[in-house]
Amino acid sequence: MSAAPTEIAIHREGAERMGFFTDTTVCIGCKACEVACKQWNDLPADGSVFRKGMSYDHTGSLGAATWRHVRFVERLAPSAAEREDAASRLAAGGGGGVPSLPVDGGRWTGDGGRGTVDSPGDLDLVALAESGAGEEEGSGGVDVAGAVAQMDRWLFMSDVCKHCTNAGCLDACPTGAIIRTEFQTVFIQPDVCNGCGYCIPSCPFGVVDRDKIDGRAGKCTLCYDRLQDGLEPACAKACPTDSILFGPYDELVDIARRRVAELHARGIDGAYLYGAGDEPQDQLAGGLGAFFLLTEAPERFGLPAQAESPIQENAPVATAAGLGAALAAAGAVVATFVLSHRGGRRR
Amino acid sequence: MSKRRGSGGSAAEREGAAGGSGGTRDTTPALGTRGQPGSYRRAVEGAAVALTRGRFGDARWSYLYGRDTSYAPEAAVDGQVQSAARRMRGGEEIPDTVQGPVIKPAVWTWEVPLYFWLGGIATGSSFVALGCDAAGDHSSARTARMVTLAAALPSAPLLVKDLGRPARFLNMLRIFKPRSPMSMGAWCLMGFSNLAGAAVAADVLGRSGTARALGAGTAGLGLYLGSYTGVLLASTAVPVWARSRVFLPPIFVATAAATGAAANRLVLSATGLPSGHPTRTALGRVETGAMAAELLLSSGNEKRPGSAAWREPLDQGRPGQVVGARRPGATPGAQARRRSGAPSRQRAVPRRGPRFPLRVGGCG
Repeated sequence: MSAAPTEIAIHREGAERMGFFTDTTVCIGCKACEVACKQWNDLPADGSVFRKGMSYDHTGSLGAATWRHVRFVERLAPSAAEREDAASRLAAGGGGGVPSLPVDGGRWTGDGGRGTVDSPGDLDLVALAESGAGEEEGSGGVDVAGAVAQMDRWLFMSDVCKHCTNAGCLDACPTGAIIRTEFQTVFIQPDVCNGCGYCIPSCPFGVVDRDKIDGRAGKCTLCYDRLQDGLEPACAKACPTDSILFGPYDELVDIARRRVAELHARGIDGAYLYGAGDEPQDQLAGGLGAFFLLTEAPERFGLPAQAESPIQENAPVATAAGLGAALAAAGAVVATFVLSHRGGRRR
Repeated sequence: MSKRRGSGGSAAEREGAAGGSGGTRDTTPALGTRGQPGSYRRAVEGAAVALTRGRFGDARWSYLYGRDTSYAPEAAVDGQVQSAARRMRGGEEIPDTVQGPVIKPAVWTWEVPLYFWLGGIATGSSFVALGCDAAGDHSSARTARMVTLAAALPSAPLLVKDLGRPARFLNMLRIFKPRSPMSMGAWCLMGFSNLAGAAVAADVLGRSGTARALGAGTAGLGLYLGSYTGVLLASTAVPVWARSRVFLPPIFVATAAATGAAANRLVLSATGLPSGHPTRTALGRVETGAMAAELLLSSGNEKRPGSAAWREPLDQGRPGQVVGARRPGATPGAQARRRSGAPSRQRAVPRRGPRFPLRVGGCG
């Protein structure tokens, strides 16, 4: 278990550490948590872009106005041949096609014309689903079974501020705007933050960002306003599959550990907890208040394999080196002047 | 409850809304007053949100996967969870596709590198003033104290301009936080600027003893002012800065000494200090030494074993181009000084490449 953070700024009788346990194995990528978060916290839209042919994730990344973000990890990267094929069909004015569903010859002919596709890149997915997988084997059409078999490799992860035990942003904040609440979550006081931006590169997870219009740093508050009233955070409330679990930290860690054991028993050997239940030497930033169950290497989800508060890791060494060098420099300057003047007089 | 908008809802509901009692259920809002503009003030002090279950009961109540489901029935074996995480995070095999970027880039704009440069001049200049006083050249020390103040004065406005909310700049001095290099730096810059101003004021008033003491105090704070900027950058998650944590602050100190000495030599030459004066000789030597130290430190840092893992931003992209342009600029400058032995008389300021590309090298 992680060591209790010592810098709790707000005290309340009976308050304990609250957190999120995000289980990516039951996430369906509906992004309801993102919507709920935006609605409850009155966050503005900050761009929605489909990266052509690369991802169905159109909400970018965590930022000043996106405090929950469902990351789509699509391992179905189109091959070089598929890219070329799509490019040539684009040039011919026929649409780019869906790269993850290889279209053979640009025309799907399964099931007696019911699912006829007019332009090569246009898949009639409804007809495709109705006709059922498997029939198309050998018919020269879409390899639906193959595509479906690959679908389980499409991963979703609802990313959020980790509410670290050793929080880099909290260590960096020069104004004291970032505090640890009675629920041991990390909270940016919006009325104090002056937008210095030091928390942004200090976060090893790339969570915090500064809003271009608002000028202040923003990130998940773990719905501090709701917590104060004993309510579940908006994202966890909205999650239809309970991929996002909210509760007392120790309770969540217990559920998560049992879930890992269950998944291992089912043969999913890659299941592991990211940020909780580690030995002290393996902990991420002292243990994460919002931790995850992943089934792939963390880099796949854009997460670092190791993380620590950069200030706790580097500042003591750097300060010692800097002050030592400054003392040496000042001494050398004074000595140079004294010696030069002596030499000058002798001359 | 002066005026209700709309007339929808059953009579019981309306009654409940109006009186908070008497209806079938209490619909008094916990926040604000019904029919009034939204407010964060509660209608009744300490009122709970309607339909809440105490102590996050609603979270557990909505939980789909109880103990009676097959979600997580098994208890983990000792060490099973730890070893699974160690295996998957251990980096035995790096995944073929990495989603990124993992961290966010710094949002600081041109004001911050310019401040680094000016703060360096101020620090170096305060050292020069100390050296001049120690050597007995009090008139040069006086000039150096003025250079110190001139370099320190624009620093704070530059930093304020870079803030997202400049009107809240005083929040920087809201707390004293030894943990945060930026908090300490803000305090240090304030003390440094005030001491530098007081020293110049004492000079103007003719109290040279006081001015010398204040100048020494300025140099004392300069020890931190010249080095904290490197500490600040090294204490981020940006790999090229964090991995240079031992080298970055000394590099900042070396460049501070070099630019401070160069600025003073420029001003002293312009104000008629003859060439060959021991102070000018000393300034030239300080420049040479500081530049040599900077080159040694930065190239030593970049050529350290294992640097290939983090030095990519120094070689590639726009930062890489700027850093690449710095090298041929700084190296011949130092070589020319080494060859001539004594400081060059033709040039008051050594021709050098831009100084701060190395510092902002990791920005991209």
